[in-house]
Amino acid sequence: MSEVSVPPEGWAAALAGLPAMGPARLRAVLATWAPVAAWAHMLAGTACSRPAVALACRPDPAGLAAHWRVAARRTSIVDVWEAHHRRGITVSLPGGPGYPTELHLDTEPPAVLFSRGDPAALEGRRVAIVGSRRCTRYGRDVAYELGRDLAAAGVRVVSGLALGVDGAAHRGALAAGAAPPVAVVGSGLDVVYPPAHSALWEQVAGAGLLLSEAPLGARPEPWRFPVRNRVIAALAEVVVVVESSDKGGSRHTVEAAMARDRLVMAVPGSVRSPVSSYTNGLLADGCHPVRDALDVLVALGLSSAGGGAPVDRREAPGQEEAPVFDALGWEPATFDDLCARTGRSPGQVSVGLARLQAGGWVAERAGWWERITT
Amino acid sequence: MIATIPSATLLGVEGTPVAVEVHVSNGLPGFTVVGLPDASCRESRDRVRAALMSSGLTWPLKRVTVNLAPSSVRKGGAGLDLPIAVGLLVASDDLVGEAVAGCGFIGELGLDGSIRRVPGIVPLVAALSTRVVVVPPDCFAEASVVGRHKVRVAGSVKELLAALRGDAPWPDPPVAGPVPEPMPAPDLADVRGQAVGRTAIEVAAAGGHHLLLSGPPGAGKTMLARRLPGLLPALSGDDALTATRIHSAAGVALPPSGLVVQPPFRAPHHGASAVALIGGGTGFMRPGEISLSHAGVLFMDEMCEFPASVLDALRQPIEEGVVRVCRARATVSYPARFLLVGATNPCPCGDGGPGRPCRCPVAARQRYSRRLSGPLLDRFDLRVVVSRPDAMSVLGGPPGEASAPVADRVAAARELARERGVRCNAELPAPRLDVLAPMTPGAARVLEHRLRSGQLSARGVHRIRRVARTIADLAGAGGPVAEEHVCLALSLRAELAPAEAAA
Repeated sequence: MSEVSVPPEGWAAALAGLPAMGPARLRAVLATWAPVAAWAHMLAGTACSRPAVALACRPDPAGLAAHWRVAARRTSIVDVWEAHHRRGITVSLPGGPGYPTELHLDTEPPAVLFSRGDPAALEGRRVAIVGSRRCTRYGRDVAYELGRDLAAAGVRVVSGLALGVDGAAHRGALAAGAAPPVAVVGSGLDVVYPPAHSALWEQVAGAGLLLSEAPLGARPEPWRFPVRNRVIAALAEVVVVVESSDKGGSRHTVEAAMARDRLVMAVPGSVRSPVSSYTNGLLADGCHPVRDALDVLVALGLSSAGGGAPVDRREAPGQEEAPVFDALGWEPATFDDLCARTGRSPGQVSVGLARLQAGGWVAERAGWWERITT
Repeated sequence: MIATIPSATLLGVEGTPVAVEVHVSNGLPGFTVVGLPDASCRESRDRVRAALMSSGLTWPLKRVTVNLAPSSVRKGGAGLDLPIAVGLLVASDDLVGEAVAGCGFIGELGLDGSIRRVPGIVPLVAALSTRVVVVPPDCFAEASVVGRHKVRVAGSVKELLAALRGDAPWPDPPVAGPVPEPMPAPDLADVRGQAVGRTAIEVAAAGGHHLLLSGPPGAGKTMLARRLPGLLPALSGDDALTATRIHSAAGVALPPSGLVVQPPFRAPHHGASAVALIGGGTGFMRPGEISLSHAGVLFMDEMCEFPASVLDALRQPIEEGVVRVCRARATVSYPARFLLVGATNPCPCGDGGPGRPCRCPVAARQRYSRRLSGPLLDRFDLRVVVSRPDAMSVLGGPPGEASAPVADRVAAARELARERGVRCNAELPAPRLDVLAPMTPGAARVLEHRLRSGQLSARGVHRIRRVARTIADLAGAGGPVAEEHVCLALSLRAELAPAEAAA
């Protein structure tokens, strides 16, 4: 294969892989020249000759151009293109095949989009489910159920493959086995992050679509995630925040969604739970609450029925374990807390917990007991 | 002339008898020591010569050869100074051979002729088969622990010579000064609230189950752990002697009586190296912290701050109760049967837990919890999350139950374990659990449910049953293990797996 037979997408991928080439710079470069011409400027060291590009390359355009020149001379276009081919990664440019219309019309469209999986996964109604990586059992359960029920209703669930809420939403969507999941990740498509989700990563790629704005080999640097969140917001019609603290990354997604006039909905949480402080704040500001998937489907206009109370088939806690169950409430607590709250001996409390666990009412994780919903 | 003097050298925590042979003959004046002496042993040439001359004796202008038999064993330490000096005196006819017959000697010499203490007196004396042993005065209590010998002391070469020649009586052993009141052990009555933590240390003490306490700073983890030795019964004959030998070999101060009776409590700092913890060393092999806590408690505070490699080195000794340290020169095994108590924060900032305002990045938390590998975590039968006690119980609550009644229950439970033929319930053999720890139908149902739902492995079941046995013993129920006991055992074994398992 020679350089001549590499399509413009290959040149654009090589441009994206240059050092210190962020989305804004890449957008400026590709707005100025076609990919092949841009690469010629890179090789010549004249990349910052145009004011628009030089502006994006502040504070040191000349230094950056020299840097790019060195890097470009070391790069083989053919190798870059074949590396994408080998991994089954598609590169799309705005307006080209495989590039979603919503992103093309966006105010900050990704200049290059890398994808893996089935591009048809994007065709349909799309809802983003986002939230904290540090969620509670409650948040994880709700995200899982929303993902499962929305996917079963044919809605594409878009999320970020992060730990916590994101992962639970993807798992739910996969469990439904209906509408394919869509994941927008912050790292390169060959850099699995977080490593704990490597299996989930493959499942999503197999059943749905993985999208990234980052070139191959891009590390999951912290700045990539807010940038990635805007892509999630742009792709979704509705953004559902499950659990998030005031400092969480979901904030960026919500702000990006509001700037794009997307509907933002939030799952209510305990007023005492730090990871529900942001979502509860959103509700106070007038966002629509999400009780179950039906609320989201109504917002999408896919169902007219109101959300009804789900049927609980569990046997009610017995007389003996009821005090322990009441003491647990809706927030995680340790065995120690429960003994202190009930004033009972550890032995009595442990019997209550064992019965509640057998009845499917509570679960334990890392020494913390939590109430389970369904 | 030739003289042979019995003495001993340390190999691990055991003493090995050494025959110090001194040969004095005509020839070019010189002094050589052969028979695999290490550096401190070879230096004894200079100490012996100076000590004898300071004591008013003349140095023989002859050829002196010292052989430390058996020559295949490496000898270390300065304890052979005294036997070499005595052998030299006999071989050069300053002393008649009969005067030292049936006498063993241990001690280091000062240049002024004084006789000084050496570490490991207990195992060294135990290795001697002579009727009389001569040791430095401040080692009298230690040497008497062995009990098989007539212990003589001598503070200097002059005193020793006078006594051996019969010119003066043997010096009296030093009178033990007024024994300082031992610091009262911290009492459980100081712990307020903390029902779960108290139960956990009681079960740990009674059954010998390793315990991991997790919780935020200020929850009282260290406070609880320090009260654990006070619940353990005093060491019995064999354990006391082994512990004394180890402490003596490591050069750790022994109690005034010379015998370690209180269960040891060791709390190494998390900067400790693997060698400091396990034992070993290049020049002089020394027992590590795990051996020093033999028959007692090894408390590892801030366990996740220990390097992972150091922690994993604990796994084999925990299983086997001994640690074999192999070096190019020698392999020694140290007894290391200890009760491990670990304390850790849930994450570096200390405030982790679902829904807690933790400030740590996810990666940092994972790195922190990964220090405790799965296999090591599995060895903790008791894993308990403790919370900060609420203000009411700290300020106004009634004092908790004191240590004394708890220690009585622990002693009774340990007695029940002894009747089953084990030291404590943690050692109950798995095949005999059905006989020794039968369960009521209710208890069996709870375990069956856990097994079915995949929350418990087959090995986990054995561990739960042993802990449940201990809990039943503490409750005074000698019969089968009831549902409550199994449930409590399950609740005391929280899954402290890395925080972000599957969703």
